[in-house]
Amino acid sequence: MRPLLWLTAALLAATTATACGTGGGGGETGPGASQAATPPDDQLDLDAVVTVRMILEPVSLNPFPTSGVAVDQLLLDNVYEGLVSVDDGEVVPRLASSWEVSPDGLGYTFELVDGATFHDGSPVTSADVVWSLRQQIAPGSTALRAAEFASVAGVSAPDAATVQVDLKQRDTFLLWNLTQRGGIVYKQGTDFAALDAKDNGSGPYTISAWNRGADITLTRFDGYWGATPKNSKVVLRYIPEANAANNAQTTGQTDVQTAADATLLQPFEGNPGFTVYKGTTTDKFTLALNNKRAPFDNPDVRHAFRKAINKDDVIAAYGAGIKIGGPVPPQDPWHTDLTATDSHDPAAARELLAKAGQSNLAVTLDIPNVYPRAIADVLVSNLKEVGVTLTVRQVEFPTWLTRVFTNHDYELSVVNHAEARDIGNYAKPDYYFGYDNAQVQADYAAARTAASDGERDALLRKVAKQASDDAATDWLFLNETRTVVRAGVYGVPTAETTNRFPVSGIAVGE
Amino acid sequence: MTVLLSVLRRPAGAFGLIWIGLLAVAAIVSTFWTPFDPLRTDPGKAWLLPFTDGHVLGTDRIGHDQFSQLLVGARETMVVAVCAALVAAVVGLLLGLLAALGPGWVSGPAVGLIDVLIAFPTLLLAMVLAAVYGSSLGTVVVAIGTGFGVAVARVARAEIASVRGSDYVLAARVGGAGTARIIRRHVLPNIAPTLIVQLSLVMALAVLVEAALTYLGYGSSPSSPSWGGMLHEQQAHIAARPLLVIWPGLAVALTVLAFNLLGDALREATDPRLAR
Amino acid sequence: MRRVALFAAALLTASVLVFALLRLLPGDVAATIAGIDATPARLAAIRAELGLDRPLVQQYWAWLTGALGGDLGTSQLNGASVSAELGRKLTVTAPLVLGAAVLAVLIAVPFGVWAAVGNRTALGTGISAVSQVGIAVPALWLGLVLALVFSVQLRWLPAQGFPPVGWDDPVGAVRSLVLPCVALGLTEGAVLLRFVRSAVLGVLHSDFLRTARAKGLTRGQALRAHGLRNAALPVVSVLGVQLATLIVGAVVVERVFTLPGVGSMLVADVGNRDLVKVQGEVFLVVAAVLLISLLVDVAHRLIDPRLRATRSGAVR
Repeated sequence: MRPLLWLTAALLAATTATACGTGGGGGETGPGASQAATPPDDQLDLDAVVTVRMILEPVSLNPFPTSGVAVDQLLLDNVYEGLVSVDDGEVVPRLASSWEVSPDGLGYTFELVDGATFHDGSPVTSADVVWSLRQQIAPGSTALRAAEFASVAGVSAPDAATVQVDLKQRDTFLLWNLTQRGGIVYKQGTDFAALDAKDNGSGPYTISAWNRGADITLTRFDGYWGATPKNSKVVLRYIPEANAANNAQTTGQTDVQTAADATLLQPFEGNPGFTVYKGTTTDKFTLALNNKRAPFDNPDVRHAFRKAINKDDVIAAYGAGIKIGGPVPPQDPWHTDLTATDSHDPAAARELLAKAGQSNLAVTLDIPNVYPRAIADVLVSNLKEVGVTLTVRQVEFPTWLTRVFTNHDYELSVVNHAEARDIGNYAKPDYYFGYDNAQVQADYAAARTAASDGERDALLRKVAKQASDDAATDWLFLNETRTVVRAGVYGVPTAETTNRFPVSGIAVGE
Repeated sequence: MTVLLSVLRRPAGAFGLIWIGLLAVAAIVSTFWTPFDPLRTDPGKAWLLPFTDGHVLGTDRIGHDQFSQLLVGARETMVVAVCAALVAAVVGLLLGLLAALGPGWVSGPAVGLIDVLIAFPTLLLAMVLAAVYGSSLGTVVVAIGTGFGVAVARVARAEIASVRGSDYVLAARVGGAGTARIIRRHVLPNIAPTLIVQLSLVMALAVLVEAALTYLGYGSSPSSPSWGGMLHEQQAHIAARPLLVIWPGLAVALTVLAFNLLGDALREATDPRLAR
Repeated sequence: MRRVALFAAALLTASVLVFALLRLLPGDVAATIAGIDATPARLAAIRAELGLDRPLVQQYWAWLTGALGGDLGTSQLNGASVSAELGRKLTVTAPLVLGAAVLAVLIAVPFGVWAAVGNRTALGTGISAVSQVGIAVPALWLGLVLALVFSVQLRWLPAQGFPPVGWDDPVGAVRSLVLPCVALGLTEGAVLLRFVRSAVLGVLHSDFLRTARAKGLTRGQALRAHGLRNAALPVVSVLGVQLATLIVGAVVVERVFTLPGVGSMLVADVGNRDLVKVQGEVFLVVAAVLLISLLVDVAHRLIDPRLRATRSGAVR
């Protein structure tokens, strides 16, 4: 099944490439339209070492409690695997070769693949899956995504290759959540704290070296049960500075540059040695307006702020991205176009502020210091135009987490909500947005327990529209990521790479 | 006055003084007027070359007028330099006086404290303080001022100690003058030249550290343009648009140079040994 | 002996200061681990697991006693030994700082003496002027330009990074350190040059040199025979202080060249609130500087026997 899918994808890619007529290198291909097909194995160096520039380094290799998309990006599908995974937005089989859902939607039965082993050589059995999921649902669990499995009543193993998950109520998100961090299958009895020193997943790679602050080396795991990776090693180099990353790519120190700064692509344009790919992400740069604090408890003020900010300017400043106008990226099944809501209109913004009795408003923005200053620059300028003085406070991420996220002690905040399918944040009245709409919460709860995907999607569309109509937050833009690939390198993931970067298909021509 | 004239007579000193004077003027003028609003962004006018549409030094990736930003940035630089020097002077003098003139139970620990604090790298101190109290002009000033103040304290202590042993102070003490009076009448005037030279060096270092701090993401806020901020924002574009990195870099370098040259000229003007 | 006791007291004070300073930081490592999936219950559970809920004095004591035995604790984020990691980072930072210091001395001493001897001549003034410019140029700017010219344009040296295998690839390691060393060493050398120049100038104007010349020695001979030893005194102490500056300069330069050294480690750990690590790193830096000043003191006494007599009776 997997090779067939793979072939279809390759064929599709080939036809799209011809249709676009990008021809030689240096072109920028559209989202989804991927690279030229990977040549057959006999034309590849299957023992190649590939070096990839990454931007965010994980703080720990223990995926159980540690937050951060950098951990997902490195580990999911490379070192650790779940029962299911994602491909092009669809849930696809991984350690489970197939699954069945009971008619009432309360029982999921997974059949495990044959021959899967952990890196220590022991086989992956249903007992391991049961143990792993029970760590998520245990009371007081320190698992990162424990909350996602609140609907799970129990997990059991009818036989060595079958896992049964029983729910308290229907949960249309269960399969998706199993593709994420909470779905990782660990060996029964794993001491999570020890995973930093030595990983023990079932994925195609093991971590052979971590030079903190510099690079992580993934080495092919010879006992892997699935398709053999097309390279022997992948070195992920963590280079935060855009200029240094460009230097590394142009001088051949890296083969692939992910998250390239879209304003710095000149060295690669019209250069046959490189191709730049554009890819979708779920990086929603969100301007939170503290709904619980004056003046943002007044919807008029929130709408005024949304109208005052010119999203095209923000995108130009950041260099890449598209407008979304709501919490849902276009690639999600429940997307609906909300870009017309509160579109840029400084005059209307001024009127709304006047109506709210807010003249000479002065507010403070907390923004983590990892984002480009240019974003804040545009906000300062746009808001000044409608008579609002914006003071920008650059804070470190932990300070942001404590002050803004935990203590809700803020007026405005900008943060990249990179997690996929996180619309549920708008249904949590205690979330730092402070957005509290009973209808939205009811609709979201109903969506989770909906009988069909169609019903769920309709409800979530309603949630997204309501959140936008209420100006729960503002959505500055959805990032579009740029990946620069050296000529002769194939099969590089270019879309949705913030949360998952499977490297086993990356191939180097001989 | 004579010192000032003597500084102005040296080409290096004259350059330093004139450049700093110009900066002071720029800082004041920019409070009331700049050619363009330095905070205004306009992507339609991004990446303009110098002398297009009235933008003397061109614009950056979001259409900030670089000349206006430099002018306003001069204000921030002067504020950081002067305030950091003031903080350094207060910290340096207090610690120096305590260490040199205090009673034994004060001077001993004070000397020890200077020795320990001097080992704390200023940039590090600034990073931690910025992380604690947020990145603002105030924290940058306090951190740089305290960090270099300790170095000033060490110099001050040595100077004060040598003044204390001098004949005229002994004479004054025999004449019944109190410690406060001796400090005011004899110690301060005598260590002033050394202190002023030290402080001009602190100002130079403050400008450099501010730029480095901003580069590391701990600098002043984007809502107030600064040279360090410009350098930080433009450094990624050094290959494609070197001019944008050159303006703030040049401004920083010239200012550091000016403070250093001024310090040297002051030293030569006040130290008779070097006057020849 | 007295000096060593003072050194120990200073270290102890430094450890208290470092510990206290870092407790001021808002945000804790538990928040970093939990991220935006945090709930109060999870935060509390993580804090308890890490021992963050123990009294401060207890935490300090545990850290101090460990540090005395060479164990600076373990990272709160990933359990790695701080001492071991520092050791690894030092294989990058120590050569960087030492290389820059050597380069600085190689530039500063000959040119500084030259500038002093040639004071008031075109050459001396020229050297002086260049050194002033060198001090004024921010190291980060110099680093960016060096990378642009020697890596991107000329392709002579790597633009950034350090070989993943470290010194097992000695050629690669040396090549990656050349540009950072130059960026750091040039600015540092310019600073040092000023001190060498003024120290030599001071000696040139001194009485004993005039006496020596009166005895018929040429300026150069007199300087070599008597002057340099005297001029070395202030230069050695400045070099000691400058080493501290070099370590700080390394923070910026390591960032520009993405070198995995102590500097970048520190910036990252402050950012992650991995306080046990930051404590260890800052303490190491401070201890290194204190140790250097102790050595400078000893060196002083070796160079200048007079100090042995006078200093001991002095203020402290």
